Amino acid sequence: MVEKWSYSSSIESSDIVSIEKKYGHFINGSFVSPKSKRYFDSISPSTEDLLSQVSFGNKADINLAVSSAREGFKTWQKVKPIDRSKYLFKIARLIQERSREFAVLESMDGGKPIRESRDVDLPQVSANFFYYAGWADKLDLSWGSVGLKPYGVAGQIIPWNFPLLMLAWKVAPALATGNSVVLKPAETTPLTALLFAEVCVEAGLPDGVFNLVTGDGETGAFLVDHVDVDKVAFTGSTNVGKQIQSSIAGSKKGLTLELGGKAANIVYEDASIDQAVEGVVNGIFFNQGHVCCAGSRLLIQESIQDEFIEKLERRMQQLRVGDPLDKNTDIGAINSKQQLEKISELVESGVSDGGAIYQPECELPGNGFWFKPTLFTDVQPAYRIAREEIFGPVLTTISFRTPEEAVEIANNTEYGLSAGIWSEKGSKILWTADNLDAGVVWANTFNKFDPSSPFGGYKESGFGREGGRHGLLSYLKEKK
Amino acid sequence: MSEVRKTYKMFLGNEFVRSESGRTYSLEQGKEIVELPQASKKDVRDAVSVAKKGYQSWSGLTPYNRAQVLYRLSEMIEGRKELYIKVLKEFGVKDSEAKKDVKDAIEALVWYAGLSDKWEQVSGNLNPVAGPYFNISHQEPLGVSFIFPRDNVSLKSFLLSILPPLCVGCSVICISQESGVLAILLAEDIHNSDLPPGTLNILTGSYSNIIEDISRHVEIRGVGVSEDFNNDSFTTIQSNGSDSVKRTFILNESLNLLSLNPFLETKTVWHPKGK
Repeated sequence: MVEKWSYSSSIESSDIVSIEKKYGHFINGSFVSPKSKRYFDSISPSTEDLLSQVSFGNKADINLAVSSAREGFKTWQKVKPIDRSKYLFKIARLIQERSREFAVLESMDGGKPIRESRDVDLPQVSANFFYYAGWADKLDLSWGSVGLKPYGVAGQIIPWNFPLLMLAWKVAPALATGNSVVLKPAETTPLTALLFAEVCVEAGLPDGVFNLVTGDGETGAFLVDHVDVDKVAFTGSTNVGKQIQSSIAGSKKGLTLELGGKAANIVYEDASIDQAVEGVVNGIFFNQGHVCCAGSRLLIQESIQDEFIEKLERRMQQLRVGDPLDKNTDIGAINSKQQLEKISELVESGVSDGGAIYQPECELPGNGFWFKPTLFTDVQPAYRIAREEIFGPVLTTISFRTPEEAVEIANNTEYGLSAGIWSEKGSKILWTADNLDAGVVWANTFNKFDPSSPFGGYKESGFGREGGRHGLLSYLKEKK
Repeated sequence: MSEVRKTYKMFLGNEFVRSESGRTYSLEQGKEIVELPQASKKDVRDAVSVAKKGYQSWSGLTPYNRAQVLYRLSEMIEGRKELYIKVLKEFGVKDSEAKKDVKDAIEALVWYAGLSDKWEQVSGNLNPVAGPYFNISHQEPLGVSFIFPRDNVSLKSFLLSILPPLCVGCSVICISQESGVLAILLAEDIHNSDLPPGTLNILTGSYSNIIEDISRHVEIRGVGVSEDFNNDSFTTIQSNGSDSVKRTFILNESLNLLSLNPFLETKTVWHPKGK
């Protein structure tokens, strides 16, 4: 067993962040007390300390936000495209300037390592606003000469795994294409979205263009079902996505869904093994595995299986689990108690089904929600851990003999969000990529994101794309 | 002995078949009453199973090859133009309109045939990501698609509904009631046009007793309806379709690139660049 290197902790200071005791909704350009008169706690998943109390959005709150967004849409339509563009560029700049503050708050509220919120989430957030800012006055170039127009009011519901980044993926293209927005952030991670509302004020964004209502699934359902919402965009679980699709049936609302995944990460025998080990680790343990496109099913070619697993376990032993604000931390806190229970339950089912479990030895902090990085071998494709989305730091391994078999196993799921391929042979990579049912395929890399790169699923992983030129179509409809 | 009379059958997997249920419905064609098969639930399942094979074959052809097959279909229709015009007139279409309809239909076919090996150059692109990666978004056909064309006795409108999915490599199942005779006439030309079996499948009759099965069939990946489609029926399709996150949409029945979008899945592939 390889010893873990000793190290001194290096804690990012949280002084830069000032959190209000209570937050209202952000409607029509200012923070307002909830009509519901109800507040709920937002806690830190790494300490279980209370961070703030945020408003619970009921039907009256959603009504107010949607009517504000309706007015906001009219205002926004009157703003010249070049000026819409300038507002978005300004938002991008303001986020860059307050990047550290946002990153610390994101790690406190959501539990992700500061290394990731600082180096991945925040740079990507501002990059998304910067990218879509430039589209706002060039929409006529995006899809040829065909006439397209915004939907109107976009109701957007985002998850807790990349709170601010998912906000950026939704809000930036919606505003660039001329829609107004009512955003409902996840129940457990509302704080960076509330800080973003402050940025909108600072940028001078006209009132009503961006509105924010906090709450839970019930709040989200009010938003989805509101008759004056023209477009619904949802990122979250496949189950909730199906409910949304069903509840708006026949309404003529636009819909894009970015749902769950169970990505295969295929390692061929001719892969660069050390590189692939790093990629597989990044693929599943990035953001505690709270990633819809996580490479949660490792498919290894039989001839290299033993060598690969040995190297993988050795690498897993080096992962540091702990304080999200420690710059050394690789794996932070599980986002919520509920999620921790779900992961634990699925892992127990993997053990009782007969899977062989490996977890590195490491100490977990006392308070907070934690889960050790976990590897399952001897897994049968029928096991729950091989079929269901765990959304945690749990990797299952299945071996294969031929590329055809790898593709068959990879596609044998109702999901189709992402996939990985590791090989040094170009033709094999291209053949495999062509045959995988997945919206994003990473070859010899994994979990890479860029504002210009469309993201979204095949099959039950949803429809519509976010990012790139294709992402514009999620917020534009044909002129009739 | 009087003239030989044609029996109209549905077109599944390149074969002309009666409904498994044995049921039929009647249409008035000129002075005659003709009987056509009324599609059943079992016919829908049969259609999906041949359409799955059709999808494998059709999407496996090169775009150039698909273009030639669609172009050949336009040649076949051109050769039987007078028959199409005669049938349209028997269903009450005026002479000048019937001629224009067939001419427009052929031109729509030629337009989509020529698009088969080009759309991907327009709808896909390289993405300029901020890093040393090759990153490309290209598009793939959705799979088995079910189409409800406008039911208005027009060859042009029928073709404008089914050509976008065919152009990108989807296989198609469609259903036609009032224009069933016309659809079966088209099936005869499809039969002569080298479309792989199962690529285009035509059911006839009312959809009311099979709509539940269509909307719940997990192997039908997309359902497109014409703009005048019944709203309650579309609600049923959208609601039941959510079980399998089915793509459901109103068809764009014009000659432009957006007509293809509902039938496409965008795939983005990343690879590092380096030495």
